[in-house]
Amino acid sequence: MKKKMSIMVVDDESIVRESLYHWFAKSGHTVDTAASGLEALEKLERVAFDILFVDIKMPGMDGIELLKKVKSAYPDTIVIIITAYGSIESSIKAMKTGASDYLLKPFKPEYLSLVLEKVTQQQRLTEEYNYLKGHLERINRFDNIIGQSPPMQKIFDIIPNIANNDTSILLTGETGTGKELIARAIHAKSPRAHCPFIAINCGAVPDSLLESELFGHVKGAFTDAAYSRKGFLEVVNGGTLFLDEVGEISPKMQIDLLRVLEEKKITRIGSSEPLDVDFRLVSATRCNVEEAIERGDFREDFYYRINVIRMHVPPLRKRIEDLELLANHFLNKYSQETAKQVDHVSEDTVTLLKQYSWPGNVRELENAIERAVVLTRSRTLTAADFGFLPPSARSEKKARTLKEMERAFILETLEDCEWNITRAAGVLGINRVTLHKKIDRFKLKAYKK
Amino acid sequence: MIRPGLVGIVPIGDIPVLVPKVIAAHISGYLDLETSILEPMRSPTYALDEQRLQFNAGTILHKLESMPFEGVDKIVGVLNIDLFVPVFTHVFGEARQRGRAALVSLFRLANGRSEMAQPPPALLERTAKVALHELGHLYGLAHCENEPCLMHFSDNLEELDRLTFGLCRYCTRYFTDETT
Repeated sequence: MKKKMSIMVVDDESIVRESLYHWFAKSGHTVDTAASGLEALEKLERVAFDILFVDIKMPGMDGIELLKKVKSAYPDTIVIIITAYGSIESSIKAMKTGASDYLLKPFKPEYLSLVLEKVTQQQRLTEEYNYLKGHLERINRFDNIIGQSPPMQKIFDIIPNIANNDTSILLTGETGTGKELIARAIHAKSPRAHCPFIAINCGAVPDSLLESELFGHVKGAFTDAAYSRKGFLEVVNGGTLFLDEVGEISPKMQIDLLRVLEEKKITRIGSSEPLDVDFRLVSATRCNVEEAIERGDFREDFYYRINVIRMHVPPLRKRIEDLELLANHFLNKYSQETAKQVDHVSEDTVTLLKQYSWPGNVRELENAIERAVVLTRSRTLTAADFGFLPPSARSEKKARTLKEMERAFILETLEDCEWNITRAAGVLGINRVTLHKKIDRFKLKAYKK
Repeated sequence: MIRPGLVGIVPIGDIPVLVPKVIAAHISGYLDLETSILEPMRSPTYALDEQRLQFNAGTILHKLESMPFEGVDKIVGVLNIDLFVPVFTHVFGEARQRGRAALVSLFRLANGRSEMAQPPPALLERTAKVALHELGHLYGLAHCENEPCLMHFSDNLEELDRLTFGLCRYCTRYFTDETT
């Protein structure tokens, strides 16, 4: 079945607009008209069109200028130039600027049918290409890790290098920064890619249950053990185990896991028979583990075992230059999912979004874009679509006294240095003991949502 | 008072008597609509484009739509002149979707032959097809993708000759809803 297109005819001559309007309407297409380039651009901001038929000679903004603007803002929109005999050079210029085709006035009705058929086919091929490209990116597992900022580029550079060996990796960073996606990318790039990737949120599973989930159990091992069950450490065989919120694991479980990591053997609960296991461990935490060690909540030996390679995933506010890229990615994702033609975030809105502190990071941004796409009635997201966002915590809590300013500055430096006391003390120009005293005095803690 | 479903056929200029009769018979036979052959009108010199030496179909349609044609629901003007709409080189006929008037011209359908005293059967058939197709637009039908359907868009005489007089089941359904 042929797809019905949405078409806009842009021509200053009403008779041409009228002729084409009726011709397209008779073919069942959705048609609109504009008498000038400016009117066309205004309409494009509100509604998406598949094809624009643009007269090359118009007062004010001419067809070529309109073509440039359309191709820059809406590259997927097909533009066909209409021109009279004698302006063939302009037609060539139009084709070079991105027009899909041109029609010399007057043309046979069959030429118009041919051009329409050609661009429909072209659009279908583009859609297929985009689908396959997206599919390929999903296979590569890098599709959702988006960023051009230096910290993200550093992560992209590191992933292929660390993926090839079997060392344990600890990912640190606030909630919603994409630690699991990075773990998946490491797995996908590793020789273990064809084996399972199993993710467990240790903070969400009670300690007693976590033991059974990880190690499995034999029938009758405890009251509810009606049958034998493999644990994730067995199921993951050959693959990658991702322990999220590893800082939440109890000291007892840390000892058990430490033994597994050292011996590569497990014993199901209720059994005495050791089983060989083979997996790579990637852990993640949003807590300051060093502080937890100092408090005695985290075992140092377990920490050194899981922290062979450490990667810090920066919060969104520290790579705010990636926001536009991420926003457009989510916009594309949710406009496809909701089948709504929303394909732009206005420049002012991007600036506004960049001012917000995004405590929930990329996850919060994704949710915000999804909500805005669902509720908007325009194809361009504006500041009004993000009215639900609370005012930035950071901009509201501006330091007022000297003491408050000192506290804020020390906290920011510590965050920048990932709570590395020696480094932060160096940046602040004070010694470590003084910094520890200030941390105690100001009751500073690692950011934890 | 307009009689719903009454189609008036208006010969415009020098048209063989048989042509409006054939169109009327096909409209009654295939679309089950009442028809009436109206008084002939003079050749539409007002619509002549002196640069193109063709007649602007849009101008003629506007003229027909501005006339009362008492009691008639839709009008089909039959001509024997070279019709155009501004962006196209020519058209066989013209109608605006859900408009009141449609046009059909024998000029290009005759394929260069000019013996109009006794129009050949092929020409009569083509004229009737274009008339019924344009009338379909007046009742809201759009171009149809099913090739033998009367509402399928035909670019040239070969394609036009391949069309049948019948509407496909979807167009029939739509047309029946519109006219009953």
